[in-house]
Amino acid sequence: MGAQLLTFGAAFLGSAVESVEALTIVLAVGLTRGWRAPLLGTISALVLLGLLVGIFGQLIVTRVPELTLKLIIGTLIVLFGLRWLHKAVLRSAGVVAMHDENRAYAQTIESLSGDHKKTDWIGFTLALKGVFLEGLEVVFIVIAVGGTSGGIGVAVAGGLLAMVVVAGAGVIIRQPLAQVPENTLKYAVGIILTSLGTFWAAEGMGATWPLDFVSVLGIAAIYFGASRVAVTLIKRPVMA
Amino acid sequence: MRFLRAAAAEVVGLFVGDWAQTLVSVAILALGWLVLSRVHLEGLAFVVAVGLAAQLVYATTLEARQRARGSH
Repeated sequence: MGAQLLTFGAAFLGSAVESVEALTIVLAVGLTRGWRAPLLGTISALVLLGLLVGIFGQLIVTRVPELTLKLIIGTLIVLFGLRWLHKAVLRSAGVVAMHDENRAYAQTIESLSGDHKKTDWIGFTLALKGVFLEGLEVVFIVIAVGGTSGGIGVAVAGGLLAMVVVAGAGVIIRQPLAQVPENTLKYAVGIILTSLGTFWAAEGMGATWPLDFVSVLGIAAIYFGASRVAVTLIKRPVMA
Repeated sequence: MRFLRAAAAEVVGLFVGDWAQTLVSVAILALGWLVLSRVHLEGLAFVVAVGLAAQLVYATTLEARQRARGSH
């Protein structure tokens, strides 16, 4: 039950973060050039992403032995999670600017201005590219977390629910979701994914954890503690 | 073609930000594999987590220091 909840939570939060970024692009294109082409681009990208989840999810679950799967996917999740955590630490310490959806939105609008006479392929391609590229991270999170824990359905449900919630919010406010604490979410998802990845990779190596899945909490505490130490060290006056 | 290249770069970028940091993480995991597959001591895998966490602290403080030097 705990594993299923973590799988759902990781898929939901990771997908929500990426969906906000994709929504920013689609909103900017839709409000600037009209909705038909960007919506078609979005639907095409979602179909492509769905195919990727279906094909790779099925292949991974049915073809790869469990321990090999845990070792390989666990290692990839560790690398993926550490990358998010690395950025989150630098953002928390003020070394890297926080991601600003309003600014990303304004930049996309600016890049589109003056292009209205061209065919609508621009709107279609921009939405397709934006949703597909942002969605690749969602696909990885859903397949990796769902495939390794044996709960691919739960992970897909988490990812889909996140997309529906973010899209619904976008339709209602018709503005970029700048209020979503994206950096905090990425920090949390970075810790969850790195912890899950370490847990599964070690199991794939033949290790056993005390209290089984509860150990994920201990691993998360280690990564959270380390990230706070890093932020404190970076903020020390001597380093400024 | 450009779209495919961007997609490929995006996939590699999912796991690799800095190649040196990625290689150190993989080396820690490989060392962990070497030890954990031979020594079956419950909880020993926490050492792998501590190693990766230490690597995170080192890599982030190093990058912060380099950026600070570059801006001066």
